[in-house]
Amino acid sequence: MERAKEICPTTTKGKVSNGALIVDVRENNEVSQLAFDVPNIMHIPYSEFESRFTEIPKDTEVVMVCSEGDRSLKTTYLLMNNGYENVFNMSNGLTKWAQKGFPTIGDVSSIDKGAASSCCSPAPEKETSSCCAPAPETKNSSCCSPSTTESSCC
Amino acid sequence: MTKSIKILGTGCPKCKSTTAVVTEVVAQNNLDATIEKVEDIMEIMKYNVLTTPVLVIDEKIVVKGRVPSKEEVLNLINQ
Repeated sequence: MERAKEICPTTTKGKVSNGALIVDVRENNEVSQLAFDVPNIMHIPYSEFESRFTEIPKDTEVVMVCSEGDRSLKTTYLLMNNGYENVFNMSNGLTKWAQKGFPTIGDVSSIDKGAASSCCSPAPEKETSSCCAPAPETKNSSCCSPSTTESSCC
Repeated sequence: MTKSIKILGTGCPKCKSTTAVVTEVVAQNNLDATIEKVEDIMEIMKYNVLTTPVLVIDEKIVVKGRVPSKEEVLNLINQ
């Protein structure tokens, strides 16, 4: 099975500018508190996703998003299993999106501003939190790899 | 014939509970079965499921998103 293509919020923002569809899989109560403010967005809660994913068009570039990037990663794989070829997962979710100051609707006070450093901040402690970890195993997992043409967050 | 039992889950408490229930049922009833805990997200997604834990018996999904009872597990294995 092919590994999911993961992109950072900045790359996602670039794709949004080029017409990509954002699919937010957070639950209704989460969306009502804080939502992505982007023009082309669908909301399909994770709890309903298995029965509703066919609402997502196959002929569009799709970026899956959630709060932290875990649920959206699973839905990315589900779409890949069902013939979606142009689908990405936004790693670190709305949390990172809001920390970077990207457009949102609602109350951002719940987002931890203390961790609002660049995704390329030096010597990150946690491997999983960094998109700049050296020698990423997958081609598309690093938003900061010099060899990744879609990199733009740094 | 040996039953192949898989518990799919990324390590959540319900996944651990399901594994414990299945292990206990197999041991208590001396069942001929192999038990495999699948935690790798890519392996789990091969089964096209979003809600874990998932109980798979002989490659068929039989329980999804909840912890089954011992009686239910025994019945499912004996089917």
